[in-house]
Parts: sequence; C-alpha cells; structure tokens
Amino acid sequence: MIQLQHVNFEYKGSAFGSIRDLSLSVRQGEVILLCGASGSGKTTILRLINGLIPHFYNGTLSGEVTVCGKVIAQTGLHELAGIVGTVFQNPRSQFFSVDTDGEIVFGPENIGLAPDEILRRKAQVVQEMDLQPLLQRSLFQLSGGEKQKIACASVAALFPEVILLDEPSSNLDWKAIGELRRIIGQWKAQGKTILISEHRLWYINALADRVLYLKDGAISQEWRGDDFFSLDPETFRRLQLRPATIARSFLNTQKEPVEAMPSTDPITLHDYYFCYEQTQHLFRRHLSPHDTKEPLALSIPSLTLPYGRVIGLIGHNGAGKSTFLRCICGLEKRCPGRITLGGQTIRGKHALSACYLVMQDVNHQLFTDSVLSEVLLSMDSPDPERAGEILTSLGLQDYAETHPMALSGGQKQRVAIASAIAANASILLFDEPTSGLDYIHMCAVASLLSALSAQGKTILVSTHDPELLTLCADEIVQLDHGQLAAQYPLDDTSLPRLKAFFEGSCS
Amino acid sequence: MDTTITLKIPHIHLDPRTKLFMVFVVSSIVLMTATTPLAWVLRIMITLVPLLLLFSEGRGISALCFGLLYTVALLLMKFFLSTQSTGVVMALLTGYCGIVVQFLPAMITAWYLIRTTQIGEFLSAMQKMHIPDGLAISLAVLMRFFPTIKEEYGGIRDAMKMRGIMLGGGHASKMIEYRLIPLLFSCVSIGDELSAAAITRGLGGNKKRSSATELKLTGIDLLLMALFAILAVAFIIAKYL
Repeated sequence: MIQLQHVNFEYKGSAFGSIRDLSLSVRQGEVILLCGASGSGKTTILRLINGLIPHFYNGTLSGEVTVCGKVIAQTGLHELAGIVGTVFQNPRSQFFSVDTDGEIVFGPENIGLAPDEILRRKAQVVQEMDLQPLLQRSLFQLSGGEKQKIACASVAALFPEVILLDEPSSNLDWKAIGELRRIIGQWKAQGKTILISEHRLWYINALADRVLYLKDGAISQEWRGDDFFSLDPETFRRLQLRPATIARSFLNTQKEPVEAMPSTDPITLHDYYFCYEQTQHLFRRHLSPHDTKEPLALSIPSLTLPYGRVIGLIGHNGAGKSTFLRCICGLEKRCPGRITLGGQTIRGKHALSACYLVMQDVNHQLFTDSVLSEVLLSMDSPDPERAGEILTSLGLQDYAETHPMALSGGQKQRVAIASAIAANASILLFDEPTSGLDYIHMCAVASLLSALSAQGKTILVSTHDPELLTLCADEIVQLDHGQLAAQYPLDDTSLPRLKAFFEGSCS
Repeated sequence: MDTTITLKIPHIHLDPRTKLFMVFVVSSIVLMTATTPLAWVLRIMITLVPLLLLFSEGRGISALCFGLLYTVALLLMKFFLSTQSTGVVMALLTGYCGIVVQFLPAMITAWYLIRTTQIGEFLSAMQKMHIPDGLAISLAVLMRFFPTIKEEYGGIRDAMKMRGIMLGGGHASKMIEYRLIPLLFSCVSIGDELSAAAITRGLGGNKKRSSATELKLTGIDLLLMALFAILAVAFIIAKYL
C-alpha cells in the first residue's frame, strides 16, 4: 500500500526533522504508530506520504515514495486528495470553512463530486460519527475536541484509503481523546490503512498493529503492537516515551525534593464569579451569584492556596480552568474576584501586575526583536544586569540577542517566564504548558516549575497530563462545571485519588 | 432535504451574488460626491440599506448608533463645514464626517456579506460568475481569515495588558509595533497550516469544483438587484445630466 525506499530528506535551512535513508513498507489495513522525540522525523514521514513533501515544503529529497502505486513526487496533491487524508495537530488552523456543514463537504466539493453524492457521503459520515449535534454551528464556537471531530469527518468524507494523523490529541482533553480513539477504531474496522504520530500513547493501545520508534530520522526500533504495549515501564523511560497506560503515569513519583519555603501566609482568593452571555464575547456584569438566571461559568466563593507551591488545576475541557486563570490574573474585568496575599488585598486591574499568565500560545506574548529586550520591557526601570541574571537562571543566556520568534517552542515558553519574573509577579499561571510536548520536554517543564516554586513563586498550572502533576505538583485543585470539586495536597496517600480522576474521565 | 446552511437564521436569505452587487453599488455611490439635491436624496436612500441589514442581523442597537452618527455628520457637513474651512478642529471634523458618511455604509454592507455568507456558497457564486479560481480562492481565504484575526488579536491584547504595554510605553510607533508583529507572525503560521490542510483535501486542483448547495436567485434577490440597479442609474443621471 505504502512504500518508502531509501528516502532522505532535509528541510530547506533546517536540520530539524530530517530523514536519513529510511525504508518502510505498509500493508493495506495496517495501523502504525510512530513515536519518538520531537524532531525525530515523525511528521516528516507523514508529509512524505500525503505529498506535502515535495509539493508544499521545500527541501532536498532523494529516494522514492509510492502510495497505492502512485509515485508521490509525480502526482499532484489534488489527485492524492481522494486517496490520502490527513488530520493535523492544531484544530484551530485546519478548517477552511466557517461553518461545520461546509467543512464536511469541503473535500468532496473540491474533487468535483455530484451534489447528490456529496450529500449522501455527508449523511453517512454524520451518522457514523454521531455528528448531528454539531451540524449548523460556527466552527469558531466549537471546543478543541469538537473541532478535531469535524476535522476527522472532513477527511472521512473523501473516503480515503490511507489516513494519517499528526499528533491529533495534542490539544484535547481526556474525554475528547476517548472519542478520537473510537473514531480511529471505526476506521480500522473499515479496513483503512492508518499512520499515527503521537506522544500520548495510552489511547492507541490495542489499536496499533505495528509500532515504529524513530531516532534522528531513522527507524531505530520496531515492535508488534501487543509486544510494544507490554514492554516494562523501565524501557519506556529509557526510550524517553510517555507511559503506555494511564495507571503507569502514576508509577513515576520521584518528585524532586524541593526545599520547603519558610512558612508564609497562604494566598486566599475570594468571590471568583464569572458568566458568559450566549456568545462568548459579550459579557454582562454579575457581581454576585444571586442575581443571575443563567448558570455561572465560574463560581468559586473562596479558595486558599499554599504559598510558594506548585498547584495543579484539573478538570474537563469546559470545566472553567482557563476562565479561572484569566479571572485570577485580572483579564476578565467583569469578575469581582480579589486576592489576599501577604496581608494585602489585590483586585481588578492590580491583579495584572501581581500575576502573570503564560498562555497556551506563547507567540502572543513575545513583542520585541530580542530576548533581552523582551525581559527589559517587563521591568519598571530597565536593569540589564538583573535581566542577565534572570536569563542565566533559565538557561537562556546564549540567546540574549536572538529574535524570540527564531526560538523553539520550549525556549519561547521560558522567555515568557523570564518576563514574568522580571515583572516581579508572585503568582505564575500556566495554561496547559505541556500540550504537544514529548517526554523529555515535559520533564524539563516540570523541573522548571519546581525550581520557580523554590524561589518563592506560587504556581498554578492547568493540565491534562497526569505525568506532569506527579512530577511537580504539591497540591491539586479540581474544577467541575465552574465549581470547586475537590482540593487536596498531592502525596502518596492522595495519589490514588488523582489516578481515579484520570481513569474515570477517559472511560 | 434542506440544504441551506445557516449559522444563525437571518430574516432574509440572499444569494451571495446579490450581496456582492449591493456592496458594489453602495460603495461606489456613497464614495461619489452628491451635487444636486436629488443626488443627495438618492445617496441617503442607499445609506439606509446598511441600516436595514444591521436590523435583519439582530444588531438593532448598532443600527441606531450608526443612524445617529450619520445624522450628526450630515448636519455638520451641511451647516458647519465648507471647502473654505481651516483650523485643527475643522480638519478633525471633516475627517470624522468623511469616514462616517463615505466609508461606514460600505463597510457595514461588506460586514454583512462576510457575516452571512458561507465559504462554500461564496465559492460556487464566484464560479457561476466565471471568476477565475485563483481570485475566488484568495477572496475566500480572506473571508476565512477575518474571524481568525479577531481571535488572535484578542489573545495579543490580553498579553499586552499583562505586560502593561497597552500604551507602548508612551511611543505611538511602539503601540502599533507591539500589536502588529505578533499578529503577523501568528497569521503567517496559521495561514501556512491552513493552506497545507486545504490542499491535502484537494483545493486548487484542476478539476471543476462542485457544490453541495445549489445556488438559485429567488424573487427577493431579483427585486433587490433591480432596485439597486435603478438607484445607481438614477444617481448617475442626477449627478451628470
């Protein structure tokens, strides 16, 4: 079905993700999992198969790729559209229409099918994937999981024989990953040939027929699916892969010992209420939970957080995690919340200077043309010496003059943290800092968070990754429907409770 | 089976071709200077159209605001401003009146077109008008990008608030730079990913694109087109003859 013969590829101007002398042959109906660190060439392999290399991304290519007997280099992308379908990583940037119906029929319209046939296919896909509730909606108002479901439907409506998925779970919560697993299972049952590139492995258990481990652009190891998922946890750690099952995420409890901060008054949060009007962008003023008829998107009368610790914020998509973080740092003006910190009460606008939110999309937070000036910009009076110290503490000293946009994702994240430290923020908020990261980078984030808390910063981190929590969290706050569902310190006795939450939420 | 795709049921569903024609007529007439009283009457009549469109989209309050601004601007132009006006205040007023009277109506009509037209519908309308694919797809991408820019810009504004650089530290140029640079970077990367996703699903192939929704001009479309054609012709006659 798919043949790669001695393929070499290097992107123009970058060695990242290049492929070296790679040969691979995939039978019809096989499900293949590609794993390995970022930059090991997983995405490149998928791009070689769907024709984006060489037709869209430039670089030097040798060797031959054939899919269904067609030589990719000599086949136009529009001809491949009905044969190879691709689901991409970012749900925000892979839809072309503005409405869900238009998106599902987009592919079939492009290849010029007759209107009756298009509608027949749409009806079939809608029925198979249970999409009725999502029809006739604006794509901009869907959650990440719902967008990814529409992306799958749009690919499926072309009836491709080969389906490629490029880290499809990166931006999804556990419930949505469960749905994704069901869709992939359905495709497998229909006999499609499937290749998945992924860091999160547990949901592909029992789906994959073959697992390929990539290292530096070559296949370094290969297993049968069952064999791979029964490997012992030690091997996974050695290969620097995320755990194979949810339960195993909890084996890794060697939390780095952090010097306990001298006991300081805890931080208390009061009156965090927030409400969206029908659309997400029009707010109405609600100062208390009593005068509203609509359900509040967030309703936390009071919450006490330990000072100088890492606090994990968990809950499903839509449970109000992001909203809570935005309210704490003062971005939602309608929220009446106030923070008591060391005897001082901070509210409204002033929260903006006491807290700093490292956003999921850090690109929005970088404004200047060098890392150093980015840090200086955050200071009330520019102090290059202190800026230098901050950069050194984050391992960024060699990049002081680099343009922030030329850095890798993880480095950008650290630049954003550097400006937060420079701004003297004492509460740092992180919105899903590890989505889409491989195991090594996730561990790096975990130890960075621990180090920051040791410096006396209070860290609140929202996440869907249990591995991250077991690596660095001291306390867990669980939200459900905008309300505080549970709060407990994370230690050996409460670990089963966290485990139960994650296992329960994906079944 | 009902195949009309609507995000939010509008009171009137118009064909994209009608909307395009409306944008064309409104923007060209409103930009021309009216010289005779009859031309003025026609121009004001045409300006009322965007007002009605706002109402039909449930933006009654915006419509009233616009109506008020428009009346004030019109009165100012009639009684205070002339070609001989000088001074800073007069210059600012002239600018304000020009924007409200000459640009806003066209912008509202264009907003209506973008808000109420699905991309698939738009592409098949362009095809029916025999517009080359390259141009049609570029325009469609532009339509798709408006909500994205809005979303990204919201994120950037939040980040600026946290850094306390909303005013660019007092430099006007920085104020623009801090907004524009992250916006450009994220739009470029989103645009790149968007194109990759679209072409793997066959966009821009040499096959003729088909459409799930059959476009048809209905009575109301024909009526509106006829009305606009008459208004346009009448305006030109009033202005030049």
